[in-house]
Amino acid sequence: MTNSATGDLLDELAKLPPAVAEAYQAVADAMAESFSDEETALWAREGVAIGTQTVRSWESAVEYYRVSPEVARSLAFASFMQWARCGTYLSQDSPTLAVAFFKASPSIVTNLRPQYIPRWAGLGRSLYKGTWKSSTLAARFFEVSPDLVRNLPFWDVEVFASLIEALSYKSYDVAAECLVLGRDVLPAMGREREAFLSMSRALTDSSWREVKACLEMAPRALQHVEEGQTGRFLRLGEKLAKMGLRDTSRFLYDGAQALSHVSAGSQGHILDLCDGLLASSPDAVPPFLKSLDPVLNRITLQQLDQWYQHGVELLNENPESGIAFFKIESNTSESMLETLSSSLDLERVKGIMRLYTRALSGENIEVLSTAELVRRQIGWVDQDTASTDGTKVYLPPVIDNYNDKSQNFAWFKVVATHQVSHLEFGSFQFDFVRPANVFDDRRFPMEEAIQARIEAIRTATAEHFQLLDSDTVPSIEVGDGPGGTMRVYTDIGRFLSLFEDRRMAFDLFSVLEDCRLDYRIKTEYPGIRRPALDVQGDALTQRPRVEELPLQEALIELLVHMSLDRFEGLPVPQDYREEAIMLARIMHRLRTVRASIEDTAEAALRAYEIISRLQNQQEPEDEFQPEDLDDPGEFSEEEYQALLDKLQAQMSEQDGEQGEGDPYESPEPVEYRGDFKPEMVQLLTKLQMDQSEMGDAEPMTQEELEQLLQDSAELELDAQEGDVDQSMAMFAQNIMKEAGVPPPSNDPGRGYGPILHDDDAGGELEALEPKTFVYDEWDFRANDYKPRWCIVKEKVLDEGDPNFYNDSLRNYASLLAHIKRQFELIMPETWRKTYRLIDGEDIDLNSALEAWADLRMNVPPDEKIYWRRNRVERDVAVVFLLDMSASTAEAIDEGRHSVDDRDAPDDPVEYMVWLRRRREGLVRRHYKRIIDLERESCALLINALESIGDTYGIYGFSGYGRENVEFYVIKDIEEQFNDKIKRRIDKVTPLHATRMGSAIRHAITKLENQDAATKIMFLISDGRPQDRGYSREGVEKEYAVHDTHQALLEAKRKEINPFCLTVDKAGHDYLKTMCGDLNYEVLDDIWALPERLPMLYRSLTM
Amino acid sequence: MVEANIEMLEDEPSFKEFAIEEFLVRSEPYYRAVGDELELFEAAYEQHIPVLLKGPTGCGKTRFVEYMAWKLGRPITTIRSEGAQEMREGEVRVPLVTIACHEDLTASDLVGRYLLDANGTRWIDGPMTRAVKAGAILYLDEVVEARKDTTVLIHPLTDHRRILPVEKTGNIIEADDRFLLCISYNPHYQSALKDLKHSTRQRFISIEFDYPPVDVEAEIVAKESGCNEEQAHALARLGEKIRNLREHGLAEGASTRLLIYAGRLMQQGIPARRACQVAIVWTLSDETELQQSIEEVVYSIFE
Repeated sequence: MTNSATGDLLDELAKLPPAVAEAYQAVADAMAESFSDEETALWAREGVAIGTQTVRSWESAVEYYRVSPEVARSLAFASFMQWARCGTYLSQDSPTLAVAFFKASPSIVTNLRPQYIPRWAGLGRSLYKGTWKSSTLAARFFEVSPDLVRNLPFWDVEVFASLIEALSYKSYDVAAECLVLGRDVLPAMGREREAFLSMSRALTDSSWREVKACLEMAPRALQHVEEGQTGRFLRLGEKLAKMGLRDTSRFLYDGAQALSHVSAGSQGHILDLCDGLLASSPDAVPPFLKSLDPVLNRITLQQLDQWYQHGVELLNENPESGIAFFKIESNTSESMLETLSSSLDLERVKGIMRLYTRALSGENIEVLSTAELVRRQIGWVDQDTASTDGTKVYLPPVIDNYNDKSQNFAWFKVVATHQVSHLEFGSFQFDFVRPANVFDDRRFPMEEAIQARIEAIRTATAEHFQLLDSDTVPSIEVGDGPGGTMRVYTDIGRFLSLFEDRRMAFDLFSVLEDCRLDYRIKTEYPGIRRPALDVQGDALTQRPRVEELPLQEALIELLVHMSLDRFEGLPVPQDYREEAIMLARIMHRLRTVRASIEDTAEAALRAYEIISRLQNQQEPEDEFQPEDLDDPGEFSEEEYQALLDKLQAQMSEQDGEQGEGDPYESPEPVEYRGDFKPEMVQLLTKLQMDQSEMGDAEPMTQEELEQLLQDSAELELDAQEGDVDQSMAMFAQNIMKEAGVPPPSNDPGRGYGPILHDDDAGGELEALEPKTFVYDEWDFRANDYKPRWCIVKEKVLDEGDPNFYNDSLRNYASLLAHIKRQFELIMPETWRKTYRLIDGEDIDLNSALEAWADLRMNVPPDEKIYWRRNRVERDVAVVFLLDMSASTAEAIDEGRHSVDDRDAPDDPVEYMVWLRRRREGLVRRHYKRIIDLERESCALLINALESIGDTYGIYGFSGYGRENVEFYVIKDIEEQFNDKIKRRIDKVTPLHATRMGSAIRHAITKLENQDAATKIMFLISDGRPQDRGYSREGVEKEYAVHDTHQALLEAKRKEINPFCLTVDKAGHDYLKTMCGDLNYEVLDDIWALPERLPMLYRSLTM
Repeated sequence: MVEANIEMLEDEPSFKEFAIEEFLVRSEPYYRAVGDELELFEAAYEQHIPVLLKGPTGCGKTRFVEYMAWKLGRPITTIRSEGAQEMREGEVRVPLVTIACHEDLTASDLVGRYLLDANGTRWIDGPMTRAVKAGAILYLDEVVEARKDTTVLIHPLTDHRRILPVEKTGNIIEADDRFLLCISYNPHYQSALKDLKHSTRQRFISIEFDYPPVDVEAEIVAKESGCNEEQAHALARLGEKIRNLREHGLAEGASTRLLIYAGRLMQQGIPARRACQVAIVWTLSDETELQQSIEEVVYSIFE
């Protein structure tokens, strides 16, 4: 800078207040370093220009000089001057503005690209409208700019500024408040900012006050909304705002509340629904969202769709009523919610139903959804009808037949009772040779007659062949006809094979059996009579009209009506009145408590003989006259025979005269009665039984089974004709699997599962390594031990992090305190003297002297003068065995479906694969596994045991194969508790399979060496024992169960009290066998394990 | 109200007091034999073989012993107005001494002890000693609950010796010819510590009790509660159904006693469902699901 130029400048500056010159002097040197002389001169001059704009603009100049060095550090000279000029213009309009601009600049320029600086200045300028208020607002804008620019992309700043400007037309105060709110709120909004801003922009036209409310609401509201859906949600708000919705903040709040009650994955669906509403009537969206919360409290998300659809339809017809609907201010809406919410999920009442059915039947019944049955594909195909296979009752997953939950529940109960009655009143116990109670037994002569006929045919054919060629008499296939070997596999099958039309016979059998059962239920369970009548009444309304059916079907339909307790005003074809009355008599005969399943069979046989002799032809409608059949008179065998003879005579008369009539079709099923599959049940039972008596008879082959299934009247295949063979094969396989039959063939790929490792071969094992032990194993078929069969390898568990132990104690602090208190109550008070007793070891001198003194005074003395040591010494040694099998890696889902390994493959190899696959599905787990609870329980237990001083050992077991039973020491029985043990607990992890027997035997060895009065072995498991080769020929689960049972008995014999605790809900099935009359407990709620385990131990040793 | 209270006060409370070994079962208690238990017990009594009664709670063990005491004794006494008793010729008295065992019951509680009185000490016979002397049926209810030292007393009494050593006094008492020891035991307890030792068990013959079959139980319920046959049958069926739930969360099934209670409430006009609820459902379990399940069974059986 030349001297003259400097001089000029100083002169100019001198005209301004001295503060300007001072500010200049303070930074001049620093500026000279950044810029060249020329540039510095230009810079200095600009300051003067700024200062001379208006009277008060010198203040801006001061600020200009002050911030210059800092700004100069970030900007090249060209940009710098551009910036300076922006200031000049601003100071022209308002020095206050310029001051704010300069003040904000140092932190702005570091974050803003130079070319945006003018635009930024412009934003501030645009807020300035020449008034004092506007200049304050604009200045405020510059003040907050650094934060905005730092946190938001510049275009968002621009949009925001224009929003503020729009607001400023309405109110400067509100605009200013929003400006500050925006600074705080917007940065956190992330990608959804844009949507939010445009929504706010839309609001400024209609209801500008809402903008502030929205800004205030947004952060809190939006945190309830799923991240991916926030944008959609806000855009919805925008659309609404554009359409003139006034209280958007309310919408934001309600909407977010509503969405927060929907699981994360479903929020999108709700927004879909909103978008749908938006198209037809935007006004309905806010009420919809507002109602969503209360509505979803009553119905499920799936049901919501139905409710919504109905609302939309209403909305299209009449917007007013549609909106009332969504506000739940209309009756339609309310009653619809009522209906929907009254539907009952099986899942919710399953527990009660299970216990209920168990109580009624006395069997270990499992209640399952029908969906499960369909999945197993063994011949039951209908999704919605109840059924039972003898050990499980299948009920439909949801019931919404009634508008009332209790009625729906009653329906469940009626259905369940009906299903269980099959078990309770012996539907599956049909025995071909057991005599009936109320009918004569016609089935024996009938079978004989049929067999005689077959014999006749056989001899005839044989003779025929003999004539042709006496050398090759082929074995004669009588096919699947009566008397064929396959059909008589089950008693029901043997019975049904008496009939030509098996389907009709079976239909009659079902109807009559259901009639018998319903009658029994009503007499034995009067309490259920009313709901049962309701259900029957409803079933009646769904029956087809008798008059419209061809004769045979009409008569069967009459029976169905009667079985549903309708006897009055039944349409009876007048030409066949006699037959109908006979049928009614037959049915009435079954309505007694004396009637058995064999009676049902006899009744079915009689009904069949009547109906099958009639032609299945449509009768004219006027043929039918209403009649009451509630008292058709007593059934008599003579009259029946007479009728039969008459029909037979008619048949021979008409022979060939008339056509065949319509083909027979089965009656519509009665929904609540569900599927009745006695043959299938008997088949399964029989297969299972044959299985356990293996060796006696040739087990059934798959082909034979297929043949049998094909003959069965019960099977309904859901497949096209062509697929039948294939499906049949599949069914057969599934049924075989169900029954536990070994694979039909040993060729790889031919069986229904991979070939199993079978290490039955191989002999005794030798324990060569140190810390290995050999044990026998029990073979329940041979009823003897397999000598030296398993090697148990004892290993000390690795050490991990001791924090797991400490954390567990902390997490369960309150429970821990409780347990401790309980355990302290049983603390031994060995050798503590108790005084003032009326009886004891010796006289307590103090009390005795007192008493003596009293006696001398002739006062009755206190008789409590003895003392005694409390001799109750606790002398307990206990071993805990923890199941460390792979299945304990099972995640526990909030206790709802904890351990569900019903469909687990039995083969260990397959099992591992299956398990891994299951686990992969739950990779992102933050919930606990069974083993975690086991470990935690273990920690609590140790803590409690330490407090009472019992001798205890804790071991884990797992293994793979008989040479490899792993027995992990967590705390050896002789070891003192120490930090190592804490660390070992951390390393308790799911490993391999469970060969329980050997582990138990090793634990016995451990306990045997202990010298304690009471010895206890506590087994904690999560399922049935399972291991490679821990079964006979790889399929028989019983082998493992029996070996374990045997091991437990060995313990008992050695005066060790075994106790099994399992968290497997299905545990009742095998624990009964496994533990016999020894103690066990099935923990229904696995979460209760940490609490239950120590308490159980306590009650066991009290 | 006030008047009524005064009247109440003036009313003489009516009770009878007996010396423990003089307590006779005078009127025939109702007992319905299910099997051959009567013959068994009688035979054991004649042969001086101690009897162990096994069975779940409320199935009639105590009633059975009462009945046997009556049956074996058949006292032909008539109670006169003054309450004095007169023994007639040919009468056999078999008093019944029942002791409910608990965990603080010691040997000396049973045998007796010295008490102090103004003139020194005085020996008082315990109930067991009195029963042994009087030739009573001594019934130790829930014997596993008693302290282990009681076995010292039980053993010599239950073998051929039939003696009761009284350590404190240095005496040995030979039991009266009519004396019989009878104990009861509920095998459903889970505690490993409370189990009868084999050396003890093997001094008794064991008669197993279980809840009677439906028809018999119905008969018992009807007789005991006075409710009608239909109700009794329904109650018996309810009992049977609930017992199916043993081991499914229910520690013990509904006892005959509870069924009778329900029947009695019904007899008093309480609706059947409510009676079952208070007498059975709520008594058996505190678990909601279990309660609901049992209640559903009740609702199915009763209208």
